[in-house]
Amino acid sequence: MPPILAAEHVSKTFQVGRDEPLLAVRNLSLQVEEGEFVCLLGASGCGKTTVLNMFAGFTQPTQGRVLLRDRPITGIEPRCGVVFQSYALFHWKTVQGNVEFGLRMQGVARAERRRRAAHFIELVKLGGFERRYPAELSGGMQQRVTLARILAADPEVLLMDEPFAALDAMTRQVMQEELLRIQESSGKTVLFITHSIDEALILADRIVVMSALPGQVKAILPNRLPRPRHVSVQLSAEYARLKAEVWKEVGFEVRPADALPRSPDRR
Amino acid sequence: MASSAAHGAVAPPRTGRPTGRPTGRRPGRRAPLALLLKCGSVGVFLLAWYAATRSGWISPVFLPSPGDVLAQATALLRSGDLLNAVLVSSGRVFAGFALAGLVAVPLGIVMAVWWPARAIMDPFVSLLRPLPSITWIPLTILWLGIGESQKVAIVFLGSWIYVLFYTLASVRRVDPILIRAARNLGASDFAVMTQVILPASLPGIIAGLKITLAISWSCVLSAEMIAAQTGLGALIWQGKDWGDLATVLVGMVGISITVLVADGLAERLERLLLPWERHRRP
Repeated sequence: MPPILAAEHVSKTFQVGRDEPLLAVRNLSLQVEEGEFVCLLGASGCGKTTVLNMFAGFTQPTQGRVLLRDRPITGIEPRCGVVFQSYALFHWKTVQGNVEFGLRMQGVARAERRRRAAHFIELVKLGGFERRYPAELSGGMQQRVTLARILAADPEVLLMDEPFAALDAMTRQVMQEELLRIQESSGKTVLFITHSIDEALILADRIVVMSALPGQVKAILPNRLPRPRHVSVQLSAEYARLKAEVWKEVGFEVRPADALPRSPDRR
Repeated sequence: MASSAAHGAVAPPRTGRPTGRPTGRRPGRRAPLALLLKCGSVGVFLLAWYAATRSGWISPVFLPSPGDVLAQATALLRSGDLLNAVLVSSGRVFAGFALAGLVAVPLGIVMAVWWPARAIMDPFVSLLRPLPSITWIPLTILWLGIGESQKVAIVFLGSWIYVLFYTLASVRRVDPILIRAARNLGASDFAVMTQVILPASLPGIIAGLKITLAISWSCVLSAEMIAAQTGLGALIWQGKDWGDLATVLVGMVGISITVLVADGLAERLERLLLPWERHRRP
């Protein structure tokens, strides 16, 4: 079976004003198998978000192709559901209205919408908050709403762009645990962007380490930590060994990259 | 808008659940003292006015006493002239303002999302914007006479451009990531427009309409002062012509109260239309 997501020799150049064109991604190839949880790990500005935006169809590669089930992605692709770092919730809609949005766009009848939305609101533990507006919720709760919103729309792939980066450490841990639980029970394919080695180790089946400017794949490391997984996996010896291994790949990338500009496509 | 946010901050949660966001300020505690100060300042002002006119320090030719103004207000209320003037002016404002909204809100949206429309309209908008509405009075009288349609035209001509600017700015300020998110969830162009762009820009459009409403009032008054038999502007101008300053002042107070009431109604309508907004502003 072909991979569900693939990037074939993808390069992406940005032209910002009259400046020299910026090569954000160079000759990147990547395959994601169905049901796999892949983390794209790299420092800020290494082109991770650009890669994700190409899979979502928000931007097109300058060279090469991105494929969903062997078909090129040429426009915004609802089968690749995106969870944004900034939540991107519709603040004029209630939790219920947000979660139902994708179903409504698919033309699902009202009663069925209600039923499915209720299921996913329960799944992310927001029962009782259906009629609240996003502005009434905390950051962690808002990110749960985006998760429920995208899960209810039932895309084939989840593209997650540092979704927990804005959360405090404890909330982040809880969210990682819930994502593990949801992904392991639903078997969804996930491409998850992060700059946290720990997050990648906790979540991923495979860690794709990216180097910066231009963004390219530096190493692909399988993560054989046992599943079903729990955040307490961080206490195991195997985890520490893997972390050292990832750090070897990432370490020298992170230090100079702090001074680099962020990719212009990023919001 | 600020006051609706304050309401949100003091209102107790509707259910016992934590909202996850602490309510910050407590303006409620200061309210009784503030009310006392307000009444006090008005009282002192009225007393000073009374003393100044009573002592003969200011001649009644230049400023009638509070008692005279009150007596004239009662007389005009009894005769129905004041209420009639308020209703006539309000009707003109409402007609011209509604027309401005009906024309300028859709036009602003089209200009915001479709650049050729922006390019076509831009020169006219730039040239028309600096013109105060009174400069339209000669032409509108020539075209429409001095009847109702001329007053409505003046209100419309003085208002629509502000509605246009606020609409244009609000629509262009919609966060593009929300549009991306909607498309990613399968929204069509039409759904993006009705489900995202319109509701996301609605608070800005309504804020613009509220500001324009006050501008509409100043338009109608200038039109009524120049050529009208009825309305608050005409009432004031007739008072001036007859040297009846009490009527002038009654007319001015009438305008203030009418505009305040209109603002209050607009505020209520806004809260009704934008239930999510009261949680958003800090």
